[in-house]
Amino acid sequence: MNREVVKDIILSFIIVLSQLLIFNHMNLFGTLNTFIYVSLFILYKTSYDKTFLIVYGFIVGLIIDLSLQTYGVHTLASITVCYFRERIEKYSFGVNSILPLAMIRGTQITNRITFFLIIILLHSLIYFSLIFFNLEFTLTIFLYTLINAIVNFIIIWIISKLIFNK
Amino acid sequence: MQSIINSIFKNRKLIIYLFLSFITFNYLYNNSSVHYSGFGKTGTFISGSTSNIFSYINSYFNLRQENNRLIEENLELKKIESKFIDISGTKDIAEGKIDKTISAKVILNSINKSKNIIVINKGKLSGIQKEMGVISSKGVVGIIKNITSNYSSIISLLNTDLKINAILKESSTIGSLSWNGLDPRIVQLNDIPLSSSIKVGDTIVTGGMSFYFPKGIPIGKIEDYDNSSLEGYYSINVSIFNDFSSLSNLYVLERTDNDEIKSLLNE
Repeated sequence: MNREVVKDIILSFIIVLSQLLIFNHMNLFGTLNTFIYVSLFILYKTSYDKTFLIVYGFIVGLIIDLSLQTYGVHTLASITVCYFRERIEKYSFGVNSILPLAMIRGTQITNRITFFLIIILLHSLIYFSLIFFNLEFTLTIFLYTLINAIVNFIIIWIISKLIFNK
Repeated sequence: MQSIINSIFKNRKLIIYLFLSFITFNYLYNNSSVHYSGFGKTGTFISGSTSNIFSYINSYFNLRQENNRLIEENLELKKIESKFIDISGTKDIAEGKIDKTISAKVILNSINKSKNIIVINKGKLSGIQKEMGVISSKGVVGIIKNITSNYSSIISLLNTDLKINAILKESSTIGSLSWNGLDPRIVQLNDIPLSSSIKVGDTIVTGGMSFYFPKGIPIGKIEDYDNSSLEGYYSINVSIFNDFSSLSNLYVLERTDNDEIKSLLNE
């Protein structure tokens, strides 16, 4: 197992633990939840196995669900994001997406913002749809998705900067 | 086999995603009351809608059975009606005694000949005998002519050979009804003397003075008449209630008093 993989496993543990211990207890403005664990699916290296990403999403989502008593809502949002990540990559980065690590270094900032935003928006949309689970709340679902995605985007963007500037 | 394995391998992402989604949904469904009731509502809606569509489609397949059931029910009601009329003494349909009514379906019918014959799907085995009267829900149709085990032929009212006893419902004046072979909607009522008063629209019913039909079964109404005959009788055109071109369900009447009357005449 090379050092890169070990480093990523440790990083995953740190992010999941900080989600469990810190961010799960943070409710910004009373209602907004911060899901920094989504950054794991965004920063998952393109050189790693794409199929394993879905299982990885399942494990991480399940841990968050068990800690928050949300019975699979996070898991479903996570595996869906992981399943569609390859397509989102292609959509956001175009030909660059096939080059290993190319999406982090040397890519246009607009491409990166698109990639981050689509993943976070998709995750939030699935999460709030399952949380409300009622068509009467469609407007509320979209409103929560939008606000939550913006807040999460800012936090995850900062985290990614911290990790990759090291 | 190889292609199946290749196909599974090619779609492994989708298969893993669906499998994990299924597990998650199951977990969600079993643990969260909100989702349990949500899924329950969706399930009820889907099952309700599909069973509704299914029963709607299925009802078409049962139409024949339903129709037969209604015919049988109608028959029972006709029997009850005739009994009630007998007791109360009011005269409308069937003043004579109908002991048995047999329902039958038309399988062959014609209206474009001068001697029209109708064939029905009941015969000797169903208790049909020669010379029984046949009616529909609207009135007189004809008389049984020939029978086989399972089929019977009827001399239609639209047959120039048939003459049946008929009366004016209002005045009970007796006449004789026959068809001249021209218009299948119009039959002719003869032997009504000029002394009786008639008007267009008067109802014609069976007279009951034959072995075939009890008194009071509707036939038609007066369409027009001619009183210029030198013989002293009206020449009356009667428009019949039955539409012979669309006959489908018929009732064959059995009168047990026929034999008694016949034996009286033979003595």
